[in-house]
Amino acid sequence: MTAQFELVLRLGIAEETLSAWCAAGWLRPPEDWDEADAARALLIRDLIERLGVNEEGVDVALSLLDQLHGLRRALRRLSDALGSLPEPLRSGLREAMARAGADDAP
Amino acid sequence: MNAAEDPYALLGVPRTASAEEIKKAYRKLARKLHPDLNPGDKAAEERFKKVSAAHDLLSDPEKRARFDRGEIDASGQEVPRHSSWRAHAGGPEDIYASDSAFADIADADDLLAAIFGAGARGRARGTVRMRGGDLRARLHLDFLSAVNGTTARLDLPDGSAVDVKVPAGAHDGQVLRLKGKGAPGIGGGPPGDLYVELEVGGHHRFTRKGDDIHLELPVSLVEAVLGGKVEVPTPAGPVMVTVPPHSNTGTVLRLRGRGVPRPDGTRGDAFAELRVFLPEEPDPELESFLRGWAKGRAHDPRKGRG
Repeated sequence: MTAQFELVLRLGIAEETLSAWCAAGWLRPPEDWDEADAARALLIRDLIERLGVNEEGVDVALSLLDQLHGLRRALRRLSDALGSLPEPLRSGLREAMARAGADDAP
Repeated sequence: MNAAEDPYALLGVPRTASAEEIKKAYRKLARKLHPDLNPGDKAAEERFKKVSAAHDLLSDPEKRARFDRGEIDASGQEVPRHSSWRAHAGGPEDIYASDSAFADIADADDLLAAIFGAGARGRARGTVRMRGGDLRARLHLDFLSAVNGTTARLDLPDGSAVDVKVPAGAHDGQVLRLKGKGAPGIGGGPPGDLYVELEVGGHHRFTRKGDDIHLELPVSLVEAVLGGKVEVPTPAGPVMVTVPPHSNTGTVLRLRGRGVPRPDGTRGDAFAELRVFLPEEPDPELESFLRGWAKGRAHDPRKGRG
């Protein structure tokens, strides 16, 4: 069973709809699909069917979400890297962050 | 059943709500609570499940009627969900995640650029890695901005803007290449380039021929006959120029190095073509002089022109 057909069955949507989502750039080509793509397709279906978002709205939402997840990934990696630093560097960073935060305060 | 679990209360609708009202209330809540739209909020999933279960119960007329009659309660309505997108998104394998939200910040800092630039590429899945497409755009410049160089903000069709550094001496039709300002790459691939075609407007005094500037320079009768210092506008600002005695309309003064800047740092020339202007008002003194000026009256400038 192809990944595309499997997903069509799981999501209960038409094959043409799924192809249109790929053409819109919301999903990569079906050959590469795995569980993550299925979850993403489910989100698109939720946006349209449950949340009442139109096509343009899906485009905007996905673009913002992809940027958000890029940011979250960057933050997570930064956090991992910081966690592996020795204490003098960590406390130095805490102080620098506190100073930067104080600068931002009105 | 406690009040918080009451499906009507969960959706915030009265028990008399129509099917349309229930749907609207649910959509509004779902847009806020959908776990994939709240990737950092662990509790969102639970709230969304409850609201969705309430909606599933109340959007089915038969189930809603049975619930209203007290035949069933709100439990057991929760439908198990497939894995959320947020559980996969933003992981090392996520090819959809984009760095564009912070690319500017990372670019501006060597340390961040090194951390995220190298790391992101190193971790990319590598199956789809494509350079982004090139983009084309047109930029209109006024005459002097092109000659003297400028930095202009260019609005792109996607709503973003880019600052274009226009070198001094830029000309109409010239195409500038902005490396990396094209469409973003796919899967960690490099972005494409942006090609900006310049459209340069005209000037009310200057005409450009290659690297040279041509202009008309009005001079008075006195300046033309006796000579004198006059101020001449050039693209880089006015300069004082000596008009030699007995200069005529059509006499061209060459202002070396006052033209358009060239890439090698030199400049073209400016050429000022004189035009002799009589005084605005008729002048009795001038007229009486000319009536008595025998040699002048004998002069025929059309002679020999056929």
